[in-house]
Amino acid sequence: MRAIKAYDTIVIGGGPAGLAAALSAFEAGAETLMIEREKRLGGILKQCIHDGFGIIRFNQALTGPEYAGWYIEMVKKRGIPLLTKTFVTEIEQRGDGFRLSLVNSSEGLYQVISKSIVLANGCRERTARQIFIHGSRPAGVYTAGTAQYLVNILGYLPTKRCVILGSGDIGLIMARRLTLEGAKVVGVYEAKATPSGLERNIVQCLDDYDIPLKLSHTITRIIGEDRVEAVEVSRVDQTMSPLKGTEQVIECDGVILSVGLIPENELAESLGVRIDPRSGGPYVDQSFMTGIPGVFSCGNALTVSDLVDYVSETGKYAGASAASFVKDLPAQELIPIEKNEADFLYLIPQCFNINAVEQRLILYFRSRENRENVQVKVLADHQVIYQQRYQKLIPPEMKRIEIDSCPKPLNGIRDLRVEMEEGAKCES
Amino acid sequence: MSKLSRIKKKMTRLFGTAIECREWRSSIVLEGIVNSWEQVVAAGNLAAGKGYKGVVNRIEVKGLPTERIRKPDWRDHHLNQRRVDVLVIGGGIIGSAIIRELAKWELSVLLVDKEGDLAMHTSSRNDGMIHPGLLPKPGSRKAYFNVRGNELYSRVTKELNVDFTRPGSFILYDQWAMKLLYPLIKLRARRNKVKDLRLIGRDELQQLEPGLAPEIRGALYIPSAGVLSPYKMTIAYAENAVANGAEVSLNTMVEAMEKKGDEITAVKTNRGKVFPRIIINAAGVFSDVIADLAGDQFFTIHPRKGEIILLDRKKGELIKAIYSRPEFNRIKGSSKGGGIIKTIEGNVLIGPDAYEQPYREDFTTNRENILALLERFLPIFPELSAKDVITYFSGIRAATYEEDFIIEKSEYVQNLIHAAGIQSPGLASAPAIAEEIEKLTLELLSGQKRVKARVGWNPVRKAIPELSKMGARSRGELIRKKPAYGEIVCRCEEISRGEVIDALQSPIPATTLDAIKRRVRAGMGRCQGEFCTPLLIKIMEEEGFDIMEITKKGNNSYLLLEETKG
Repeated sequence: MRAIKAYDTIVIGGGPAGLAAALSAFEAGAETLMIEREKRLGGILKQCIHDGFGIIRFNQALTGPEYAGWYIEMVKKRGIPLLTKTFVTEIEQRGDGFRLSLVNSSEGLYQVISKSIVLANGCRERTARQIFIHGSRPAGVYTAGTAQYLVNILGYLPTKRCVILGSGDIGLIMARRLTLEGAKVVGVYEAKATPSGLERNIVQCLDDYDIPLKLSHTITRIIGEDRVEAVEVSRVDQTMSPLKGTEQVIECDGVILSVGLIPENELAESLGVRIDPRSGGPYVDQSFMTGIPGVFSCGNALTVSDLVDYVSETGKYAGASAASFVKDLPAQELIPIEKNEADFLYLIPQCFNINAVEQRLILYFRSRENRENVQVKVLADHQVIYQQRYQKLIPPEMKRIEIDSCPKPLNGIRDLRVEMEEGAKCES
Repeated sequence: MSKLSRIKKKMTRLFGTAIECREWRSSIVLEGIVNSWEQVVAAGNLAAGKGYKGVVNRIEVKGLPTERIRKPDWRDHHLNQRRVDVLVIGGGIIGSAIIRELAKWELSVLLVDKEGDLAMHTSSRNDGMIHPGLLPKPGSRKAYFNVRGNELYSRVTKELNVDFTRPGSFILYDQWAMKLLYPLIKLRARRNKVKDLRLIGRDELQQLEPGLAPEIRGALYIPSAGVLSPYKMTIAYAENAVANGAEVSLNTMVEAMEKKGDEITAVKTNRGKVFPRIIINAAGVFSDVIADLAGDQFFTIHPRKGEIILLDRKKGELIKAIYSRPEFNRIKGSSKGGGIIKTIEGNVLIGPDAYEQPYREDFTTNRENILALLERFLPIFPELSAKDVITYFSGIRAATYEEDFIIEKSEYVQNLIHAAGIQSPGLASAPAIAEEIEKLTLELLSGQKRVKARVGWNPVRKAIPELSKMGARSRGELIRKKPAYGEIVCRCEEISRGEVIDALQSPIPATTLDAIKRRVRAGMGRCQGEFCTPLLIKIMEEEGFDIMEITKKGNNSYLLLEETKG
């Protein structure tokens, strides 16, 4: 029997979060292994051939493959141990570490152990059935990411005349992409009263190509036996229930769905990691450690980001934390980071480890509703340690706060809260 | 007053002069035009159980378009002039089980189905439950074949290498009514020969299934209830038949029959004419249409749809068995109204419901029905939520107005056997129905030829390996032999490229995306194929398919429409 290989840190996932995590863990001196199920690193960025990536991280708008390429090169330069085409089937907690079962073509099913793990599994797309679309089940219904793979990687058009449901960013990007490829995008239908995607994508992907965006509309029925022949769309009320009598049938041969992303946390859950129903990812502290010591979460598995820069950033810190956990991370003593649930869609991290020596604190949040002229304050033991005024807060845009030097030491505090003040709710 | 005049009188009271009733052979025929499908069904029900062999309901609905039957979209001469001993029409669980049993004998057996794969209708669109046989009316064919079929599954699933468990069925109650009904249930169980059922109190139930809602007082427990994958079972039956010399011709639709006197001489299909000695009608929702082509329609199928919801496999850990909760104020004879089941793959399944509809192939689902199912069943396990839904679908029961199976030699056509009107518990009954049809076929053939046992008949089927369920050593060995088994393509269900290739090379090979799914589950998990669809397309292309011709489910269901520019 072969000896089981042992690592300090294993990073699961070779997309932007995992790449950054593996780099920082390795640079912090941890014996690191990165595991990727696909043949090539880069994750979903491989199929994102549009630009706009890395504006914060690199100060320029790169394409997805370019952005990923920088990290991949770094990982290769450093010679970080890497397994591609390798799938993690199971993780078990063993003594002071974790045992991972891996499967691949060269080794079969085998095991490795690690003192810490970073989960960088990314996210998946919500499907037609998860938003309760009805009617028949013909070919031609694809999530935006699948359509993107078919077009950009395989080189085939899955539709020539489509309706896009949902105004998530990938849907908007695909509206433009399909149009450029000669397909007709009849319209983008969004059940909510406000778009889900970034403003810049609405302008650059829809407005510039005269693709109509229909808010407060949804697909109520898919029509067609073999291939999509048409969809029935309806107006919806504020609770997003279809309004009878507003049905309209639109002929098309395809439906592209961009109705939300779900962090992939099946491995995390199998370990017993608690998931925050609001962010969709694990509850973490400021080091991105989950409720299970030694298990870290980052990237879109932690929460779905609208910018890859934040994905890489959480990866970077999670990787570094995982490396230092192996050495000397002090015992966790957590307090919740308090917030008003009515103001915040979610806030990450959800809790704060008061034993941490690290004084830097990065917070990510989304507002629950559109707000104007808002003051966001961070209070430690009721003393304001940070404040920032935002002209506009909208749920599609994740905001980031970094507190790197505090007027008072954060370790040992008993109360940490984030508040949103003033700011009228507004329509758009 | 004769039974016909009694029925006529009632019809007139309900429908005025719209409906005419007449006797034909030993059945009753209804004709006329009414305003709604509900009226058609009501008239059929009214005429049933009044002493006729069957109800032939030809009543039409004013303004209702006739159904467009899904047909194979090409013609060829694949089967031209083929002489066979037995022609089985229908590739569902019944037809497939029948050819497997017939393959024991030195007979030429051909199964045809109009779809591009087996189990395309009801056999892939049900809850996979192997009912214990308590519900059917004592003395009915349903009761007999169900209980016998249930027993046979232990052996058949072993021979055919199909996963099967008997987690038992729990009929939950939160009222004292069950205690009062129990003696009657016991009596029915004894008459149907259902064994070992007992009442379970709240404490034991909570211990067995801690996730159950606390208001549930107890359950009637029937240990023989089982679960399996209905489409895998269907395919397994057919594969074993093919391995023993039977032939399956898909995309083959029966269009007409030629008769000489009271005998069918030829069966015309879109793939050529077949000359069978015996014809077996196992055509499911179209079994009355096939009977009509043979000039022997003494019954009518009225399609009864059921919608079914599948929940994420990770919630499968919450439940162990099969649960139903009858609502005593709305119990009907036709269907017990679904339940919650842990499927053989570990998902949680909710449903099916039951309602009548005019079309036999209308597999649409409806918002109200799905929401109603969730509302009714989710509270049984409070930890389940609508967020766990990964998909839903519908199936159509081939119900007759008599609401019992038709398993018999035709009274009027010498070489025709019916296995028709097979609705729930048809899956559970299939092994027993096949046994009976085998017997009837041999009886019919006995006058024509001497039938010998097939030399070298092998009852055992080798299944596609399921690597995710294997231990490290056997999985490793398989991967060494075929490295593609080590490459995971369906992340949700942990299905390897090797298993997909096996599906494409299996005895009745998968030729569509959905057919791969039915054989190895790739694309059946929580992401519903969003990650593996492109990978499956690539594998199919590498295995020799023209990428532009790859379909989801045959005919016009192409996945890709055009190459991108450049």
